[in-house]
Amino acid sequence: MADEPELRGLLLKSLAGDEAAHRAFLSAAAGLLRGYFRNRLRGAPEDAEDLLQETLVALHTRRDSYDASYPLTAWMYAIARYRLIDHLRRSRRRTHASLDDFEFGNDDPEFVASDARRDVATLLDKLPEKQRTAIRLVKLEEKSVREAATQTGLTESDIKISIHRGMKALTRLMAEAGAT
Amino acid sequence: MKTEQLIDMLARGIEPAERPCWARRLALMLVVGLLAAALLVVLGFGVRPDIGAAPMPVMLKALFSAAAAAAILPLAVQLMKPGRPLGWRIGAIGMFVGVCTLAAIVALMGETPRERLQAWTGGGFPWCLVLVPILAAPSAALLFWLMRDFAPTRLGPTGAAIGALSGGIGAMAYSMYCPVDSLAFVTTWYVVAIALCAALGAIVGSKLLRW
Repeated sequence: MADEPELRGLLLKSLAGDEAAHRAFLSAAAGLLRGYFRNRLRGAPEDAEDLLQETLVALHTRRDSYDASYPLTAWMYAIARYRLIDHLRRSRRRTHASLDDFEFGNDDPEFVASDARRDVATLLDKLPEKQRTAIRLVKLEEKSVREAATQTGLTESDIKISIHRGMKALTRLMAEAGAT
Repeated sequence: MKTEQLIDMLARGIEPAERPCWARRLALMLVVGLLAAALLVVLGFGVRPDIGAAPMPVMLKALFSAAAAAAILPLAVQLMKPGRPLGWRIGAIGMFVGVCTLAAIVALMGETPRERLQAWTGGGFPWCLVLVPILAAPSAALLFWLMRDFAPTRLGPTGAAIGALSGGIGAMAYSMYCPVDSLAFVTTWYVVAIALCAALGAIVGSKLLRW
């Protein structure tokens, strides 16, 4: 399991624009945070996976809020804890609202416990057109920012800003989708 | 989407993160907030008529308010970002309030019993309790707006810190209007007014700062 110096090294490299380091950081963080959420949401592993994905997007979009002079794990768990509290607050409201017409679902043999409940790909469709297109081209179809700019007729910085805003909006959408 | 796919998607084609100049943006918000509050005093309430004859008390009260803001600033900065230690920064605020309380008590002891109440309340309702929060509003609005780019994780305390910081800024502008110059008045009611801003900020913050 990754420790503080290793994670910190990865994030600092990813802040410098190293894609492989960023992927390694998010994977290592996912390993730690999956345990964190599962411990706190016993009996709801798919909620835990939802929260994990939400937190990964948050860590990604807010990575510039990390200051190298402070411990990385404190930063990471502060964000994880915040997402958890936000989730609990929402689900408490949901429980109050829907007690009357509560239905028990049927057992689904296809269901894999560690799957997330909601699909991030579907949520992307809810973003504004420009952000959705920019994310689809660069993040899903693996085009470069330049190619995406040529294809859409937008400037490169427009594409970058759209991706960044879209990703931030995605955290919000994920949290709201988790509460319905 | 599986978590591994999500990670791939997030990592794909990342660019070096721009080092955001938080400090400069924060400073800019505070200066703009102060100017807005000062404008509000000049155009809205009108500066005290004897401001030309009494530059010293006005300066001192403005300095006192600036000191209050300065005592809150370190804590506010820590709260704005995830997982920062707070430590002595809470103590700094406690110390400031302690010194103010002591100063108020000592000043009141020096008054004759008959003048004591007058010196403490300024001979009426301490209007700064209403007007300082109003003057804090522009700074608070700017700071809450700035906060969308940060990622505060303790919303109530962050809101309170933003409120108190804005309260200090508002009080700086208020000192141009405030007609009462007694030490006990300022060290009591300015502090209470700023605390009120903190309470309002905590309420607003826990709703407005969610991300």
